[in-house]
Amino acid sequence: MKAQKGQVRVITGNAAAAYGAMLCRPDVATSYPITPMSEVAEQLSTFRAEGLVDTEMVEVEGENSAMNVVAAATMAGGRAFTATSSWGLVFMYDAVQHAAGFRAPVVMAIANRETPGILAVSGGQQDIISTRDSGWIQIIVEDCQEIMDSIIMAFRLAEDYDIQLPVMVNYDGFYLSYLAMPVEIPEREDVDRFLAPLKDQPQRTILIPGEPLGCGTHGIEVGFVELRYKHCMAMERALQKVDEIDREFGEFFGRSYGGQLEEYRTEDADIVLVTSGGASGTARTVVDAKREQGIKVGLVKLRLFRPFPRQRLVGVLKGRKAIGVIDRSVGFGWNTGPMYMELRALTPEIGIVPMLSYIDGLANLDITVPHIERVVDEVYAASQGKPYQEVTWIPLEE
Amino acid sequence: MVEKLKKKPRVYDYFKEKEEQYAGGLAWCAGCPLELNLRFVPKVLGKDIVIVGCPCCSAPILYGQNVGTWHRLSYYSTLMTGVASSATGLARYYQKVGKDVTVVCYTGDGCAADVGFQPLSGAAERNEKIIYICYDNEGYMNTGVQRSSTTPLHAATTTTPVGKESRGKPTVPKNLPLIMAMHQTAYVATATLSHLEDLAKKLVKAAEKKNEGFVYLHVFCPCPVGWRIPSDSSIQVCRMAVRTNYFPLWEAEDGKFRFTHEVASPRPIEEMTKLIGKFAHLKEDQLEDLQQMVNDRYALIKTLCDANK
Repeated sequence: MKAQKGQVRVITGNAAAAYGAMLCRPDVATSYPITPMSEVAEQLSTFRAEGLVDTEMVEVEGENSAMNVVAAATMAGGRAFTATSSWGLVFMYDAVQHAAGFRAPVVMAIANRETPGILAVSGGQQDIISTRDSGWIQIIVEDCQEIMDSIIMAFRLAEDYDIQLPVMVNYDGFYLSYLAMPVEIPEREDVDRFLAPLKDQPQRTILIPGEPLGCGTHGIEVGFVELRYKHCMAMERALQKVDEIDREFGEFFGRSYGGQLEEYRTEDADIVLVTSGGASGTARTVVDAKREQGIKVGLVKLRLFRPFPRQRLVGVLKGRKAIGVIDRSVGFGWNTGPMYMELRALTPEIGIVPMLSYIDGLANLDITVPHIERVVDEVYAASQGKPYQEVTWIPLEE
Repeated sequence: MVEKLKKKPRVYDYFKEKEEQYAGGLAWCAGCPLELNLRFVPKVLGKDIVIVGCPCCSAPILYGQNVGTWHRLSYYSTLMTGVASSATGLARYYQKVGKDVTVVCYTGDGCAADVGFQPLSGAAERNEKIIYICYDNEGYMNTGVQRSSTTPLHAATTTTPVGKESRGKPTVPKNLPLIMAMHQTAYVATATLSHLEDLAKKLVKAAEKKNEGFVYLHVFCPCPVGWRIPSDSSIQVCRMAVRTNYFPLWEAEDGKFRFTHEVASPRPIEEMTKLIGKFAHLKEDQLEDLQQMVNDRYALIKTLCDANK
């Protein structure tokens, strides 16, 4: 069965996030304005005001409450959505960990932005890295259509009986949050149909008033360890599940994104670039151009950051002659990009080949075509046995 | 289904309720009045409630610190920063699906007045349909008697000790019940355990008013360990707090203030402080300060109550 053709509208990434959430009919949604995601909150409130959804909208007094409200709503049995960015994510950090520990199937959209320290009202992926070890599933997307589609898929993933984990859908703040592009908006019945399998699953454990059952008992000793282990096992199951849901989404709606990661012209590639988010589009253009020059380069767009798609990455990176990783954030204490760090951890499986870390696109600086061309040239030279520099802060070398 | 709540004629009628929600003995410090307070909540509100709380003195019993819980109520234990907001999430979901559930927050003053104050104030401003009960033991008793923003003027705690250069907490406490009343929510009241009839009435009122909006109850709750009082004197201290006007009993319904118990001739504050170890170091000047603070605060609440006459 195929979904009907949806209406195509030119909307921003933020609007796409709000549409995606609305189509999934959350019971409770919260929002607290922060640049550059405020429009998500406004859009959701407008949908509510126009009667397009019957979601309980809670206009909270801060992001910390935004997360606690949605976490509790899911533990009561509801579907819940929120959105934030950067400092907002940092302000809700205790609640973010709490939601993960509760296995609260919350879906959160994040318009990525630099995090505190240096006041930066600008894009960057440091907020993804700051929440890396919080126990959430983290998805990174590339364009407005993918934002909307990924939010729909995120509900299928989060609420799946075998998963029951909160999911973040990350998109580049400023770049995608404000970028308007044509987006096909599915019909609501079709989204209902796509989410319907959740109803056939066993009821997940929820709080029932009047029943001696609670959330948040202190875990000690082995009981605590067991819960941690089960959490990790759910993360492991999520790897496969992300691919399955993506495939099913593709069969039904006609759009799919590769699940854990997307490969572009990697089949015969000697060298491979690894990117995530909006920079991947630019990288594809460069790959095409460099291919014409005879350089066998391919691209991996990392869509799933947590859990980390180890097996699929090994599958695509093994046997290449050199690898270049572009990070839009920094790994303090390693002086490399954080995604580069993670890929380095795969060395025993993929073998010792030159791996180059590029830090670019911090604080709204563009990751341009010339930047990526440079990356390809250097990675190619490294693959030919030439000396190379491990870490390059592109904006500082221009 | 939630049974219709009715005020019972005498306070001990509530204790006739056969079904006890708590275990027979609870692992609190000897003489802790939390037990009386907590047992009383489901006696009046019924058992179809969800209790929301956080790490605090009530946590071991309500949320099972290191062992199982000591009751058979439904509970949601969160962080100190997330109590009122989590209660909001639960209440909103139940409203959305049409379930009549009473969501009751139960925390100490450290959560309510300090680290959890922002969400509390936010939930009050949004007039969320929840009941928030703060048991005020005037400090962080669970973590070892540190000062909170409701610790009284000049009181000794482990972080406002008495020493060569220090004579207890130098600042006046946050007047939390009044701050909450200034949110103009459905219902705000003060209560304590020496006046159980009064507390029962306020809980019944709370259950009624939470259908209209936010309800806040501030319960004065001495801590035998932290205040250094004999374990059989908690209720006596509660009574003296009322008789000295240190803790006046009042309610504000839809923003209208009213005393629920008036003291004909208030006792001097020393009659309360002499019962309590944390005030043992008080000299004349400090007692005068404290008396002045009690007088000023009483005058303020009296003005508000008189305005409603």
